[in-house]
Amino acid sequence: MDILIKILGAVATIIIAFVVGMLYGGLNRKVTARVQNRVGPPFWQNYLDAFKLVSKKTSIHHGVMQHLGPAFLMVSSIGTLLFIPILKGNNWFPNLSFHGDLIFLLYLMVFGSLGLALGAGQTGNPNSAIGVTRGLSQMVGFEIPWVMALVAIMIQYHTTSIADIMHVQEVHGWLMFQKPFAFIAAILAMFGMFRYSPFDIVGAPAELASGPVSEFGGKYLGLMMSSGSIFAFVKLTLYTDLFLGGASNFIELLVKTFLLYMIPVSYGLVSPRYRTEQAVRYFWGWPSFFGLLAILYSVIF
Amino acid sequence: MVNDKNSQKIVDIIQNFARKHSLFVLAYGTGCGAIEIPPTMTSRYDAERFGIRGAATPRQADVLLITGYLTTKTLKRVIRVYEQMQDPKYVIGFGSCTINGGMYWDSYNTIKVLDKYLPVDIYINGCMPRPEAVIEGFIKLQKKIAEGRADGAKQYKENFEWYRANQKKVLGPTTPHIQEYNW
Amino acid sequence: MNTIHITLGILLGGAILTYFANKIAGIVRDIIFISTLLVAAVLFFVKMTPDTIANFNLGDITLTLSLSHFGLLFSIIILGLGVLAGTYSLPYMKGKDNLGFFYMNFLLSIFGMLGIVMANDWVSFFIFWEIMTWSSYLIVVYNGKDTNKIGIKYMLFSALGAYSMLTAIVIAYSQIHSFSIEALMSQFTQLSVSYQIAIPLLFLIGFGVKAAMMPLHVWAPDAYSNAPMSYTSMFSGALSKMGIYGMIIVFVNMINYLPHNTVWREVFAWLGATTAVLATIWAIFQDDAKKLLAYSSVAQLGYIITGVAIGTPLAMIASLFLAVLHGIFKATLFMAVGAVEYRTGTTDMTVVTGLIRKMPWTFLAALISAIALAGIPPIAGFVGKWMLYESLITNGNYILVIAIFFSSTAAFLYVYKLLYNLFLGQEEPEFENVKEAPALMVIPMLILSGFSIFLGFLPGYLFKYIDNALVVMGFPVSEGKWWQMSAIFNGWGNKVSVDLVLYTVITVFVAIAIILFYRWKNSHYVTTKDISLSGEVPKEDENYSFKLDFFKPFERAISPLLKYKIETYYKGFASGMEAFFDFVRRIYNGNAQIYAIYVITFLVILLLFANYIFTV
Repeated sequence: MDILIKILGAVATIIIAFVVGMLYGGLNRKVTARVQNRVGPPFWQNYLDAFKLVSKKTSIHHGVMQHLGPAFLMVSSIGTLLFIPILKGNNWFPNLSFHGDLIFLLYLMVFGSLGLALGAGQTGNPNSAIGVTRGLSQMVGFEIPWVMALVAIMIQYHTTSIADIMHVQEVHGWLMFQKPFAFIAAILAMFGMFRYSPFDIVGAPAELASGPVSEFGGKYLGLMMSSGSIFAFVKLTLYTDLFLGGASNFIELLVKTFLLYMIPVSYGLVSPRYRTEQAVRYFWGWPSFFGLLAILYSVIF
Repeated sequence: MVNDKNSQKIVDIIQNFARKHSLFVLAYGTGCGAIEIPPTMTSRYDAERFGIRGAATPRQADVLLITGYLTTKTLKRVIRVYEQMQDPKYVIGFGSCTINGGMYWDSYNTIKVLDKYLPVDIYINGCMPRPEAVIEGFIKLQKKIAEGRADGAKQYKENFEWYRANQKKVLGPTTPHIQEYNW
Repeated sequence: MNTIHITLGILLGGAILTYFANKIAGIVRDIIFISTLLVAAVLFFVKMTPDTIANFNLGDITLTLSLSHFGLLFSIIILGLGVLAGTYSLPYMKGKDNLGFFYMNFLLSIFGMLGIVMANDWVSFFIFWEIMTWSSYLIVVYNGKDTNKIGIKYMLFSALGAYSMLTAIVIAYSQIHSFSIEALMSQFTQLSVSYQIAIPLLFLIGFGVKAAMMPLHVWAPDAYSNAPMSYTSMFSGALSKMGIYGMIIVFVNMINYLPHNTVWREVFAWLGATTAVLATIWAIFQDDAKKLLAYSSVAQLGYIITGVAIGTPLAMIASLFLAVLHGIFKATLFMAVGAVEYRTGTTDMTVVTGLIRKMPWTFLAALISAIALAGIPPIAGFVGKWMLYESLITNGNYILVIAIFFSSTAAFLYVYKLLYNLFLGQEEPEFENVKEAPALMVIPMLILSGFSIFLGFLPGYLFKYIDNALVVMGFPVSEGKWWQMSAIFNGWGNKVSVDLVLYTVITVFVAIAIILFYRWKNSHYVTTKDISLSGEVPKEDENYSFKLDFFKPFERAISPLLKYKIETYYKGFASGMEAFFDFVRRIYNGNAQIYAIYVITFLVILLLFANYIFTV
């Protein structure tokens, strides 16, 4: 009975992540449109897109790896989702966060992009391979300040579990104010993680024929979009838990994640695109500097 | 089963609702009419509020816009692109050249009647049609999808030999050849 | 005659017999080779106990061999990899010449390695070390290409390492008057300070050469890629671990007791991290699959050296786990590349492409091993990496964590390059008739990949052996504190339950796969030539796989780092020495008449100034 409740809760978590993630995508398009002085699509547009893609009548594939690629991507998103505490101290949303910690999550998040890379590689389109190499190079870039920020948090509070960090924030206050340098480094790394401007060269439609997803259509593309949305929700929840003190009820979670989400969206609206080597060099510049400051701050104080 | 036809109708209604409100247009300007697409997509005439957005490759696209005249050279590529798209797919003929040859009615290397080579769902006439006309064309396409009559892809599959014969007449030995077309 | 005598005797006798059996018939040689390996391995594992001791008398020096649990851990890798690599090399080496020579050296390497882990005194250690080095050198120059450059480089560095080790042994003997390893360990603290620094340093140079630590690693890329792939799987899987074996002995037993041991540990940890970072970056830009894997081996050994240098119990467990696992997955990758070479004749990644539909089992083995290399859960590589990171964080080496993490993320790049260039991409009509590798080559690969998966959710089976080994080295028992059968802990109370991870991953994967494969009939297979290339179709002779300058943007981003190669410094040193020797040649120029002038001049000077020189 207990297991059944846990499994139901897990499925509920996945559905909520999907719904909220797609909603945020739609809100992104709406905000972009308003900034560009037009009306924009309704905020439920992403659901219609996903449903239309899934209900395509025929589809083509280039081999078995093209099926396994999106499957790996979903495994990475959903797997990460199940190991993060969504709400503080809650029995209804089961989480396995006591069985996995931050470093494990770091690696699980990368698993998806590797799976997508292999699936895109099988299609034989050179654009997908170019897009994948650019994406991987950028990933080496933004992982450095991200890991620095995480290491700074971990060494200060002597724990690598997210639930413990949330407990610590109840006592000390939000980590956003306690460790400002780590927060700045993590937010700058978040731009790279979300792949909005200025780091969106990976999936640029006009530059690369949309990069890795260029041969994916129909249900594969639908799965990829949903996985992207779930992953966005997962990353936002992770940031909320680490820096904004977690959320004890659902409304608070929505408010906090939405406010965090607006940061990359609003920065992306006004910035042009970086080339890959500019992006990589940028991440090893100021964000890494803030990361180093964060580590020094944790060691000294 | 009694409910089968009704449930099929409900599924169709929902699917068509999704399809008509989320059209991915292939970013391919085949002729001079493509100059009217950027204003339609951008801020002033905002086609995105209808769910219309650009797609980069034919694998991801639903709608193929034949914008203006089609030379035989472009026709070969357009046929290949059309066959790479996935069902259900729609073709919109843009401008007078697709209806009856338009300004190039007596040219030796453009095609005059698009419907003989690709199944067209909606025509938008004009030379070129203004963005308001383009949007009205899309709304007509949406209505056609909602009624379930936008089945150009099915027509292509059923009358494949006829289309291929027409294409061969115009393209000669360079007609695109695919091994089996059993989609 | 106890088990040690029998096992070593079988290996040595088998080696000699194989060489002579080559002159009789190929099949006889094959049978003798594989039966030697199998009999030795089975005998070893079934009948070996820790209290078996064998003594050999050489004049007034006694060679003692016995197996402790620490040696047992390494012998698992040696014999296991030896059997599987031997099975692999039977079809791989078919048709090449001088095969008796190859198999003899193969068996002699295993013989040497087994002797090293069983040695109880330094003389037998050195003898077996040299046997191992010589036999591996003979295989590195086996195919006769570039023997001067590659073979001599390898021999030079190995000789440098071996002679520094010999110097250390002789210094130790002159102080303690015993060759026994136990004696050196127990009396180490009573030596004078200069010897306490010199002996570990010389030993570490010797072991560092074998373990490919910077700056002693320059032989490794050429040697690994020039040897036949069936031997390289053992070369980089087991031989390099002999350096690690020695390093652990030195670090745990000698450096622990030095007053400045933190300095030593920091220096070597940073050397390991530098190796990891720089070798990874060099691996990313290689175009030959063998060289890429060779640089990647050097990088993975860098992780292990860092773990050994840090020295906390968690770090030791992590580095031993990574050592065993590296043997497993790197051997599989070398075998996969060897299978590709066997079928297509080349491993140049700009030529070979699109083999996934033709060699699916090879691809599966390479995929699983590549995932293990990248350290992604739920395959076993993650367990080792996790423990390494946790040990570095809990020990307070924060910048080291960043360096190791950078290298680990950059490893994704060359892993993807290897898999994409060899197996994915567009199919090429030149490789139309490539078939899957023979069964005897595929089965060892699949067995090793199976181990990677198995150790991913039940790492406790390997941890038990590691625990026994560390207890012998003097660490406390670690079960329950650092690991359980399928969970790993760090010192702060966080854990990862790897079996739950595996269940979650498999559940989600199966669910998604069901959703995707549903309505499979509607999904239509198209070849890799049918891509959306702006309405064009690639012709038969146009291949649009992306191969050249694969990571050009990344190369531009880190171009300052690529300007320095350690090999240039060695070459500069060598040419400087040559210039000096050319200068000396002017004086010592081989002309007997000039020598006569020198002698006479010297005598004249001596006679002229006899008064001044010889007055008291």
